[in-house]
Amino acid sequence: MPEAIQIYIERVIEYTPRLVESLYETGIMMVFAMVAAILLGLPLGTLLYLASKGKSLENKLLYQIANIFVNIVRSFPFLLLVVVMQPLIRYFYGRATGDPVAASFPMMLIAIALYARFVEQSLHDVPKGVLETARSMGVTTPQLVWKFLYVEARSSLIIGFTTAFVSFISYSTIMGVVGGGGIGDFAIRYGYQRYETDIMYSAIAVIIVFVIIAQWLGLRLAARLDKR
Amino acid sequence: MIDIKGARKSFVGKNGDFKAVDNVTLSITGKEIFGIIGESGAGKSTLMRFINALEMPDAGQVIVDGIDVGTLNKNGLRKHQKDIGMIFQHFNLLNNKTVEENIKLPLELHKYKNPLSVDEVIKFVGLEDKKENYPAELSGGEKQRVGIARALVTRPMILLCDEPTSALDENTTDEIVGVLRKAQNEFDMTVVIVTHELNVIKQLCNRAAILERGRLIDTIDVNHSVTDRSDQSYYERVLEVLKDA
Repeated sequence: MPEAIQIYIERVIEYTPRLVESLYETGIMMVFAMVAAILLGLPLGTLLYLASKGKSLENKLLYQIANIFVNIVRSFPFLLLVVVMQPLIRYFYGRATGDPVAASFPMMLIAIALYARFVEQSLHDVPKGVLETARSMGVTTPQLVWKFLYVEARSSLIIGFTTAFVSFISYSTIMGVVGGGGIGDFAIRYGYQRYETDIMYSAIAVIIVFVIIAQWLGLRLAARLDKR
Repeated sequence: MIDIKGARKSFVGKNGDFKAVDNVTLSITGKEIFGIIGESGAGKSTLMRFINALEMPDAGQVIVDGIDVGTLNKNGLRKHQKDIGMIFQHFNLLNNKTVEENIKLPLELHKYKNPLSVDEVIKFVGLEDKKENYPAELSGGEKQRVGIARALVTRPMILLCDEPTSALDENTTDEIVGVLRKAQNEFDMTVVIVTHELNVIKQLCNRAAILERGRLIDTIDVNHSVTDRSDQSYYERVLEVLKDA
């Protein structure tokens, strides 16, 4: 048995550089997805909220367009979304396969749609009294968003982001099909296709640890900011 | 100061249209404390919300300080609302902001020529030692004091109070009544109070309108009770309420 462990350790050491490289690729995809979620998903979710019935920018058309976009992106089987987006990525980025940046495009799209939905839900949970107070003070819409909605919804926005983040990790594991690399690709290539299951399990363990850390950090931050 | 002429408002309910305010005409003079009383569902809150345009009447006019509120555009409405303070039954504080941040909030939204300082107004409502606390750490009476401070900090021309004491026990109600009276004395505002608590009206108001099912039944001069019960001990209050006729 100790011999088996020794062999395992040697193999892990042997694969470590490739594992680190995969983590780096996953990292690139995750950063693109997170930035897109914050810079575009947050405003889109806020728009979904503000354009809904009875809210300050109530607008059926605008709401429906945003809503349909989110629904379509979210209901697409992710692997097919990756495939369908190929021509578009090629148009924007020059190439659609072979590196993690190209692979980030579908990641960004799903990140925007997914986080927008979380944001919309969080904002709908802000108590009516807060909105009434804001109106009675004669706020502009940007003031309503920044000084009232985001303040009162902040911990739930962070919890939503944490949940979205964990989903992004899961989505990123698919990107090997277009040569995006990443930890999921690593697990499949070395673990599954070459029957080196010990390496596959090690990679999965790394993913699990990442998810646990992300979840813990997110909840902790949310709890710290929640004074309700 | 505030003139409401033939105001009507209906809401669509389960059983067809529901007349919340039905052809109400009344006039509130500057610097008076005016009560609006009635049972729940009588339309008191809706009527008061006409004044700061939280509700718009379906018909009729609301004229505040010479301005017809119905003619204002979005920008005009914001300017109009800026000078009207409001306090609420459930306080409506931002729970993720401290007492001090809550009170400062209106000053961050508009420029005011002559606002009070946050310290001044915190001292006025007696919450100096709670400045850094969050609303979740306060009692109901303290929360309403924060609500009052937040409304006063802008030196409003009009203060609207929507059931300001209905979520509070009797003791705390008297405290809040005391704070409101002191505020009106010191800051010289027109105060409008909506409540179903007759005691509050009796202690505070000069005049009161009585609403029933959306209609104005009567406007009466209130026989002002002079005693400020917020200075009395609990025992004295018990004697006054229970032993006096």
